Amino acid sequence: MKKVKVFLLMILGVLLVITGCSNENIGEDSLDISKLIMGMDDTFAPMGFRDKQGEIIGFDVDLAKEVFKRMDVDYELQAIDWSMKETELSSKNIDMIWNGYSITDKRKEKVNFSQAYLENKQIIVTLSDTNIFEKEDLNGKKVAVQNGSSTLEAINKEPEIVETFENGEPILFDTNHEAFLDLEAGRSDVVVADEVLARYYIKQKNADDYRVLEEDFGKEEYGIGFRKEDEELLEKVNKVLDDMREDGTYDSIYQKWFN
Amino acid sequence: MLLQVKNIKKKFNGKEILKGIDFSMKEGEIKTIIGPSGAGKTTIIRIINSLEKLDNGNIIVGNEYLYQDQNGKILESKDKTLKRKIGLVFQDYNLFPHMTVLENIIESPVNILGGEKSFVIEKAREILKKLRLYSKENMYPYELSGGEMQRVAIARAIILEPLLICLDEPTSALDPENIGEIQQIIKDLSETGIGILVISHDMNFARKISDEILFLDNGKIIETLNKKNQFKNNNLRVKNFIN
Amino acid sequence: MLKFVNYIIELLPAMIIGVSMTLKIFLITLLLSIPFGIVLALLRNSRIKIVSKTVGLYIWIMRGTPLMLQIVFIFFGLPVVNISLDRFLAVILAFVLNYGAYFGEIFRAGINSIDKGQYEAAQVLGFSEYETFKRIILPQTIKRILPALTNEVITLIKDTSLVYIVGLGELLRAGKIASNRDVSLIPLLLVGVIYLILTGTLTVIFDKLESKQNYYE
Repeated sequence: MKKVKVFLLMILGVLLVITGCSNENIGEDSLDISKLIMGMDDTFAPMGFRDKQGEIIGFDVDLAKEVFKRMDVDYELQAIDWSMKETELSSKNIDMIWNGYSITDKRKEKVNFSQAYLENKQIIVTLSDTNIFEKEDLNGKKVAVQNGSSTLEAINKEPEIVETFENGEPILFDTNHEAFLDLEAGRSDVVVADEVLARYYIKQKNADDYRVLEEDFGKEEYGIGFRKEDEELLEKVNKVLDDMREDGTYDSIYQKWFN
Repeated sequence: MLLQVKNIKKKFNGKEILKGIDFSMKEGEIKTIIGPSGAGKTTIIRIINSLEKLDNGNIIVGNEYLYQDQNGKILESKDKTLKRKIGLVFQDYNLFPHMTVLENIIESPVNILGGEKSFVIEKAREILKKLRLYSKENMYPYELSGGEMQRVAIARAIILEPLLICLDEPTSALDPENIGEIQQIIKDLSETGIGILVISHDMNFARKISDEILFLDNGKIIETLNKKNQFKNNNLRVKNFIN
Repeated sequence: MLKFVNYIIELLPAMIIGVSMTLKIFLITLLLSIPFGIVLALLRNSRIKIVSKTVGLYIWIMRGTPLMLQIVFIFFGLPVVNISLDRFLAVILAFVLNYGAYFGEIFRAGINSIDKGQYEAAQVLGFSEYETFKRIILPQTIKRILPALTNEVITLIKDTSLVYIVGLGELLRAGKIASNRDVSLIPLLLVGVIYLILTGTLTVIFDKLESKQNYYE
């Protein structure tokens, strides 16, 4: 029995050591700007994802690497779950959210956004053989959307149209990919999604099989999310982004990913 | 004296099961406690084997107190070897099912008491031979008959060289042929000087093996029958039980 | 067909990285939570009421809430009280606490199914409580609980996929990344096959263990 007690104490000890020695992140008042952690969902092609070798690549990643290089800071790319992004930021596990992060009013309440660095639209995609050509045609149709996305926020700004959907609401999926799979399976009639993501998807498949409607659910912009108190960092990043636009670096990165 | 039991009392949930038990065991003596079920027979050997605590009374093993009653407070001997001088063969044997016959027997002397393994094995084989179990040493309990399991349990007890062995209802699960065998084993053991305390409700069996029969009823020994006067008794309750 | 095989081969490096994370979590959890479970089982059986009640409450909480919630709480919630854990440590802690509770209940059921006579036989033969448990009770318990243990261990390897919530790249996440990148379901199919290989291997190992335990009845 004695040995059992000793063993129990050992387990307790291990737990205490585990919990005790990882308190480093606590109590920092101002951010140490020499090493930044960029939070991103590594499943988010083409903004940030992993290639077949497991390297994180993407438009956002190239952009960020250049920004950090010019700022002369060390950085780390930290994979996070997208649903946890603001929590990750506020608990200081990451220093910024940078991964196709659309600027919305709701998000502005929690985070400070950098300048918009990419324009984006909420586009409507259907299969090329349907008779859906404009928003009006969505009447009575099944509309697939990614849950928790800015897309959902965008379509809800036009409630009069959402009302005409079948059941008066969109069908929600965990990922855009699943929404598209549902479209291809013929269960959903259209997908509404970020243009950047949707065009990437369509390009990987066969672009001829899809039709992108001319109408959309509004423009929006991608920004980088920072903690409210890290204003100095935000300004520095904005400044570097300005420089990159001026000297053409931004354009060459844009060309690499979107043409 | 191997064992002296003095004025043992025991209550369970306020009910007095043992109301003052006295008896003693001499070297090589065979004693049977007999009585109806619920009389407290099993409680007596459980107390002697430290499986139950006693409320009052003294137990002396050899010439050392195992339990000493000091004004109602029971002091337990600090001598750990004392308890091992009493062995117990359970009614359903309680062999360790995951160990072979040999492992069952040597487990305690080798792994608990730290005896030298080859020496203990040799000793175990001698005992197995005497108990006609020699060919069974690598078998598991589930492969044995009831009588064989009982003999393994006896072997497991006597390898610790106890002064005294208690057998709880040794005939309850045996067929007549095996009963003859266990009688012989008990006799043989007693001839080596070991004291044997048997719990039984089988008067025929008790008569055949015992030097003395204690008749227990309702927590008290109400009659002591002796081999010398051929277990004659005049107690009506005892007579009723026997018939 | 060749194209398909080539694609699978291309996917493998990322999958191997994912599998290694999956296996790391799986093995460390198993190694720590089984002994922890045994301790919990013994404490749950403790004669001291406050100890057994406390452990009972602990087990109730751990089994009564989703593991996902516990991971989120440990990683995102504990920093509120100034305990900030590394992602991997947080996940291991959550898994060990959770699986310890499950293993604890399995062990407790097993321990309690052992006949009281085994304890008494050991006591009469001079075993201490600890020796009784180690040499007599535990070996018999393990034989009885192996089937239940097998189920739990297979669930564990699948549960490792929950760590996506803190961004750790295990097998399923590796599959999702490839699936989103290549706009294809094949990576997920491959993930399924790899899980089957893992659980199949475990099943074979545990079957072997079980038949090894069948030397007695």
